[in-house]
Amino acid sequence: MARLLRPFEYRGPQTVGEAVRMLSEYDAQARVLAGGTDLIVSMKKRQISPRYIVYIKDIPDLNYVHYSQETGLTIGALATHRSIADSSIIKDRYNLLATACNKVGTPQVRNMGTIGGNICKAGPSQDTPPVLLVLDARLKLVSLGGERVVPIDTFFLAPFKTVLQQGELLTEIQIPNPPPVSAGCYKWATKTVAVDETLVGVAVLMSVDSADGVCTDIKIALGSVAPTPMRARQAEEVLRGKRIDDRLIGQAAQVAAGETRPRSRADFRRRMSRHLVSEAIAETWKMIR
Amino acid sequence: MKEIATFMVNEKHYELAIEPHMLLVEVLRDELGLTGTKHSCGIGSCGACTVLIDGRPVLSCLTLALTVRGKDITTIEGLAQGTTLHPIQKAFVEHGAIQCGYCTPGMILSAKALLDKNLNPTDKEVKHALSGNLCRCTGYVKIIDAVLAAAEAMSKEAHP
Repeated sequence: MARLLRPFEYRGPQTVGEAVRMLSEYDAQARVLAGGTDLIVSMKKRQISPRYIVYIKDIPDLNYVHYSQETGLTIGALATHRSIADSSIIKDRYNLLATACNKVGTPQVRNMGTIGGNICKAGPSQDTPPVLLVLDARLKLVSLGGERVVPIDTFFLAPFKTVLQQGELLTEIQIPNPPPVSAGCYKWATKTVAVDETLVGVAVLMSVDSADGVCTDIKIALGSVAPTPMRARQAEEVLRGKRIDDRLIGQAAQVAAGETRPRSRADFRRRMSRHLVSEAIAETWKMIR
Repeated sequence: MKEIATFMVNEKHYELAIEPHMLLVEVLRDELGLTGTKHSCGIGSCGACTVLIDGRPVLSCLTLALTVRGKDITTIEGLAQGTTLHPIQKAFVEHGAIQCGYCTPGMILSAKALLDKNLNPTDKEVKHALSGNLCRCTGYVKIIDAVLAAAEAMSKEAHP
């Protein structure tokens, strides 16, 4: 692998409007650079050699974590994994998102890499998408023509492929308030490689009727076990409306493992899915009951 | 086409004309002669190229030099005061935490970022802070011992 970069033309837009104008003009010849922890590696490996690099990190007002009771949580696409993992409102109300951001890469990568980049890369093993799936996140995509907001469960199309069009920029992640009596967690197993890439990631968000202890709603999402991050909807059905016990957790975990579609190390990934889903539900149930 | 960038390195002000595709590690080593920062894996796995930007550890092999405009960079050369070593450097020497030395600058800068915020870290916090720096010689034990000893020394210095 080459350790140096091929020449390109550099653009440093100062506003979102300027950035999307450039992206639209340069079309497929341009790539967006934010934290660089992924793009620069791909460029060194000569997987891509863009003619234009549009560096968006100098755009002010895209790096924030806001919360209000009315609108819930909004996160600027340039918020780093570190800043999200350290945010007190996120640790307090969306702990599973803080956990996932703290899992990404290494301390250096978390200081550099942005949540927007983690989502838009759309690799099957990214850590934030399963969590954002169970939290019902919506993504604000801005282009020259205007903006649209898409639910994250319609965003991913295939490995490294999303509904993001050329000329479109992800600017904000919107997350509603979690249901009143609810809890969640993120669990993972890693490959044994230098950067501990996720082999299986599992996010669970559960709400319970505090009067009778019945699971009123549950969302289970997995990463790295299918071409895109996925919900385990059949497994959710096993638990929804029921009183949770160990037998039911085991049954749901088995169903979830059956819903996965791993492309490689399939047997191991399914076994780990079953184990981690079971662990995640049990831990969430313990937090909430 | 070269563009002008101004930034601080180790409290010194620089104004340089830089090709956009130049990485920060290249500029530090080849333009400024600060070869303490190492260029190793090139893909952000090993941490040998770690420098501090505004106090936070980042990878200079994945950072375009133009993007550090207006920032404050610390490399390993910025730690010692003349011939007096920084307490973390001293602890690394005293604890035998250096063998081939290639990972050492990155290790020390990651440790500095931790200790600048937390002078009383646990073993676990030290391991977490150093988890982005690989060492193929020491087995890490002496490095962790050195950081804990440096924390103690620095905290005594701060609250004698």
